Amino acid sequence: MRSTTLRRLAPFVGLALVILVFAFLTGAPAQYLSVPNLRIVLAQTVIVAIGAVGMTMIIVSGGIDLSVGSTIALTSVAAALALHRSWPPVAAVTASIVLGGLVGAVNGLVVTRLRVVPFIATLGMLGVARGGAKWLAGEMTVPAPETWINELAVTFPSRAWMVVAPGVWLALILAVAASFALRRTVFGRHVFAIGSNEVAALACGIAVARMKIAIYSLAGCAFGLAGVMQMSRLRQGDPTVAAGLELDIIAAVVIGGGSLSGGQGGILGAMIGALIMAFLRNGCQQVGWPNYIQEIIIGAIIVIAVALESRARERGQGVR
Amino acid sequence: MRKICLALLALTAACSSAPPGGAPAAKSYKIAVIPQGATHEFWKSIHAGAIKASRDLKAEGVDVTVIWKAPLREDDREQQVQVVEGFLAQGISGIVLAPFDRRALVRPVEEAKRAGIPTVVLDSGLDSDQVVSFLASNNHRGGELAAEHMAKLLSGKGKVLLLRYQEGVASTEAREQGFVDGIKAYPGIELISSDQYAGGTRDTAKTAAENLLNRYGNQIQGIFTPNESSTSGTLLALEDVRKAGKITFIGFDASEAFIAAMRAGTLHGIVVQNPFRMGELGVRTMVDHLRGKAVEKKVDTGVQLISPETLDAADSQQLLHPPLAKYLEAGPGGF
Repeated sequence: MRSTTLRRLAPFVGLALVILVFAFLTGAPAQYLSVPNLRIVLAQTVIVAIGAVGMTMIIVSGGIDLSVGSTIALTSVAAALALHRSWPPVAAVTASIVLGGLVGAVNGLVVTRLRVVPFIATLGMLGVARGGAKWLAGEMTVPAPETWINELAVTFPSRAWMVVAPGVWLALILAVAASFALRRTVFGRHVFAIGSNEVAALACGIAVARMKIAIYSLAGCAFGLAGVMQMSRLRQGDPTVAAGLELDIIAAVVIGGGSLSGGQGGILGAMIGALIMAFLRNGCQQVGWPNYIQEIIIGAIIVIAVALESRARERGQGVR
Repeated sequence: MRKICLALLALTAACSSAPPGGAPAAKSYKIAVIPQGATHEFWKSIHAGAIKASRDLKAEGVDVTVIWKAPLREDDREQQVQVVEGFLAQGISGIVLAPFDRRALVRPVEEAKRAGIPTVVLDSGLDSDQVVSFLASNNHRGGELAAEHMAKLLSGKGKVLLLRYQEGVASTEAREQGFVDGIKAYPGIELISSDQYAGGTRDTAKTAAENLLNRYGNQIQGIFTPNESSTSGTLLALEDVRKAGKITFIGFDASEAFIAAMRAGTLHGIVVQNPFRMGELGVRTMVDHLRGKAVEKKVDTGVQLISPETLDAADSQQLLHPPLAKYLEAGPGGF
C-alpha cells in the first residue's frame, strides 16, 4: 500500500525538486517563482500537455504514436490555411481537429487491418504527414490572420480574469475529461484491458480492433487541437515545426508513470511529466546553461523516473 | 565504334573543363542549386535569383537548367551531404551550394571536384580551397551595423542581450561576433547575456526568448537576434509579454511580419542581405567558370540596415520584395 502511494507521489516530488533547485540556481528565486514566469512555463507546456493526453491513451492501450510532431505540423498548417481562406475560426479549429482524427484513424486502420506494428505504422505516418504539411503549405509558412485563435496560447491573456492562457484551461479541461474517461468509464477500463493483455481482452469479448481505431482517432483529435495551439503560438502554420516533439510527448507520459508495454499510466502523471520538462528548459535558460546540459538532464530524468517506477512496481506486486 | 565513342566523350569532357576561348555555343549546362532549407523566405529568394539567371542566360543563348533541391530536414547536415552525393551520379555540370556546416560538406564537395563537378559556395563558408568561388554577405559587417544602430538608438548607454541562433553555423556566428565586436566600441553599453541559443525554429526561439525575458526583461534596453527564425520568435515573445516596443529590438533578414512590426514600432531595425542577387550571381559565376572565364574567388553580395525611417526608400523596397512570384511557381497552398 505504502509503495503505491509513493509511486503516485513520485512525479510530484520530482516536479517540486526541479522547481526548488532552479529557483536557487538562478540566483533570483523571486523572479523564477513569479506569477509571470509560471504563466510562461504553463503556456509553453500546452502543446506537449495536449499531445500527452492523446499519447497516454495510446500508450496505456499498448501502442505508440511516433507521428505526433508531424500531425501537429500538418494540422497547424491546415488551420492557418483555413483562416487564410477566410473560414470562420470555429470551422478552422474543427477542421484541424477532424484532420488530426483522420490521421489517427489511418494509423489505427494500418495497425489493425494491415497488421503493421504501431511503431512502424506511425513511423510511416511521421513521414507522410510531414510531407503532406509541406505540400499543403507550398513549402512556405502560412501566415494566419488575426482571430481569437491567436489568443489561445498567448502568455498573458488579454482578459486578465483568465489568469493563464485560455489554452492552459483548455488543456486542463481536456486532461480532467480524459482522466475521468480512462479511470471511470467502460471505455477506459477496456483501454487498460487491451494494454494489459490483448488476448485476454479479446477473449472477454472486447472488440479490440474497433477499440484501437477509436483510441488512435481520439488521440489524433487531441493532436489536431495541439496543432491549433502550435499555430496560435507562432501565429502561422509552419510545416517544419514540432520535428522531434513526439519524443518530448512520449517522455512526458513515461516520466508520469506510463509503461511502453501497456496497461500502465495516467493523465495526471503525464501532465506532471510535461511540466517537469518545461520547468527544466525554462530553468536551464535562466541559469544560463547551454542547451546540451539541458538535453543531458532531461535524458537522465527519463531513465531515473522509469527505473524508480519499475523498482516500485516490483515491491508493490500483488497490491494492484 | 566503341573507341570512337570514348574519343568523343573525352573530347566533350575536355571542352567542358577548359574550353579554349569561348566556342562552346551548343553546350547545355545543368546546375544543381542546393540550399540549407526550403521554407524560409531567404531560400525562396535565392531560388528565384537562380531561376532569373538561368532565364537571362537562355536569352543570351546559353542553355542553362537549374535543378533546385533542398535537404529533406532543415537542420540536418547528414541530409545535405546526401543531397550533394546524390547529384554526383546525375550528370550535372556544376553545384551551387549553401553549406549547412563549414566542415561536414567538405568531403562531398571535394569528391565532386574529383568527379569533374565544380562547386560555387553561397551564403555560409566552407573550409575548403577546392571551390570555384564563395559568394556571401559580409556577415560580420552585418552584425556591426546592428551594433552601431543599437548604440545610436540607445544614445550610447544601456544593457543589451544577444540571443544567438545555433551552434556551428558560420554565417550567424559571424553576425553574432560582429555584434559583440561592434558593441565594444561603446563603453556605455553592456552585453549582459550572449551565451544562449534560440535553436532551429521559431518555436524554439520563442521559448528561449520568453525564458530570457523573464530573467533579464526588467534590466535590458536592447536585444539583437541574428537570423529570421530567432528574430521572428523573439518578436512573438516580446508581444506576448507586452514588452514589444519598449525594448529596442534589432533583427536580421526580412519577412512580411518584420515589415509590419517596423511599421508598428515593435522592431527598430533589420539587417538584410541580398539573397536574390546571391542566387543570381551564384548561377552566373558557375556558368562563367564552366565556359572558361576567370571568376572572382570571393564576392561580397552586400548587407544593409533598414530602419522604420528608411523602410519606404526604393532600394529598401527592392531588397524587401524580390520578385519571387515572377520566378517561382506557387504550391497547392496557392500563394
